Amino acid sequence: MESDQIVLDVSRLSLAYGKRMVLRDVNLQVMAGEFWFFLGPNGVGKTTLVKALLGMLPIQEGKIFLNPSFASRELIGFVPQRCDLNPTLSTTVSEFVLLGLAGLRTEKKETLERLSWALEKMNLDDMRLRNYWSLSGGQRQRALVARALVRRPKLLIADEATKDLDLSTTIALMQSLTDLNRKENLTVLFITHDLALAARFCTHTALFINGLVRTGSCQVVLNSEDLERAYGVPVWVHQDPTGALSVHIHGEGTPP
Amino acid sequence: MIQSFLSSWTLFYQSYLTGWLISLLLSIIGVLVVARDQIFIGAAVSQASTLGIALIMWASVVFHLERFSWFQSDVFFSAMAVIFSILAASITGRGGETGKESHEAITGWVFLISASLSILIVSHSPHGLEEIHRLLSSSIIGATTSDIWSFSLLTLLTVFLIFLFYRKILLFTLDPSMASAIGMKMKIWSLATSAWLGLAVGLSIRASGMLYTFGCLVLPALVAKNLCREVRHMFFVAPVVAILVGITGFVLANGYDYPPGQMTVTLFCVLLVLVWILRRLRNKNGL
Repeated sequence: MESDQIVLDVSRLSLAYGKRMVLRDVNLQVMAGEFWFFLGPNGVGKTTLVKALLGMLPIQEGKIFLNPSFASRELIGFVPQRCDLNPTLSTTVSEFVLLGLAGLRTEKKETLERLSWALEKMNLDDMRLRNYWSLSGGQRQRALVARALVRRPKLLIADEATKDLDLSTTIALMQSLTDLNRKENLTVLFITHDLALAARFCTHTALFINGLVRTGSCQVVLNSEDLERAYGVPVWVHQDPTGALSVHIHGEGTPP
Repeated sequence: MIQSFLSSWTLFYQSYLTGWLISLLLSIIGVLVVARDQIFIGAAVSQASTLGIALIMWASVVFHLERFSWFQSDVFFSAMAVIFSILAASITGRGGETGKESHEAITGWVFLISASLSILIVSHSPHGLEEIHRLLSSSIIGATTSDIWSFSLLTLLTVFLIFLFYRKILLFTLDPSMASAIGMKMKIWSLATSAWLGLAVGLSIRASGMLYTFGCLVLPALVAKNLCREVRHMFFVAPVVAILVGITGFVLANGYDYPPGQMTVTLFCVLLVLVWILRRLRNKNGL
């Protein structure tokens, strides 16, 4: 295992808000090109861990090693859970996406190339001059991802990027990210509470269970017992002969 | 009317130039305030700088400090106005996080405590009360050459800094959570922008009063917001609006013998209504 392939190495990490311990003894190693899902119900510390990884939250105990090539954050793209943009302010999709270049020095030609690439990847190319606020929820979400992609990141962190999206938009967005993951060797940390999504797209999972985090490949971590402990409802996990996973929550249809 | 204005130039050119420079400077900074939708920060910061000046007057009487000439100097008064502005901008920059008080509530508190205290502490000093009323009602008459130089310098520096850190400033203003995620030191940025806002507003208050300062801070940027399709264009449109309306306001005020500050702010307000109508028509026609 080459050390430059390690994107992130978290060992014995504990995080707290004041005296309230949120996560304890977290161990996680993310290699380049992996697609990780941070999975668990709301309020279990997924975003807290991301904040700590980005240096936005002090750590109580343990260590976070971020590959030195990410130290300047130039190669990190971040899709926040919500966008704080003032809704009364007009901005075009282009201007909004170019905000993602903050902190990077790029020539005009390169800037335009990056913009076109990011918009194309998110199927927003023909909307670049549209007002951001005239877009649908799904298009806005794609613009948020494009804003992260315009940095040409090697590590993309997406916090609940599919929240509030309908099923087809969610699948389209996830397929775009999967393509980037495979073709551009983009490492992805995708935070969600959506079990079905994780089962369908992840290569690796960090499952948040009562302040602890179980990590590993999806086939290992996504098991009925741990998912039931995490979500508090019975969950059936099915793996087909190709290795593809599907999950069924008790009461939501019949397990296979 | 223009001839009359030109003939008054020799006598009042310092006031005119200072007024326009203040308008130019604040209109640029105002884009950031308006973009964050924190318009009342401008009012709170302006009011807080008035409190700084009132405190000096109060201390001067209570502690018999009139004998120290520096204590009565313009520089010291301006410094106090700036210090209180920066303090207010820093306080109003806080809040808004989960479990804490909202920005609006903190801004409202700063405005109200500054407004009430600045009157209370000088209410038994006729001269002090008069000065506070002058600051609140706005008068740009009496500006000096040093005002012209200081506002020129501040405007140039502001333009230079915005040019240098354009994307970072915009991201910090528009989406702080993203800015924080890409490694921008939010506390430093918050402190720096508060200090800059405080410095500009504090100095403007001393030279032009609260109404003109607050008006120039938010109104040109609001006009620009309604005219522009992109935030970056606001940085050009707001100063152009500020200068055009500023010149018109001063010429009209001189021609009809009205106070220039109030005339300019009224024109800004009328223009804003026209722009609102224009925007509604534009939206209605899907343009």
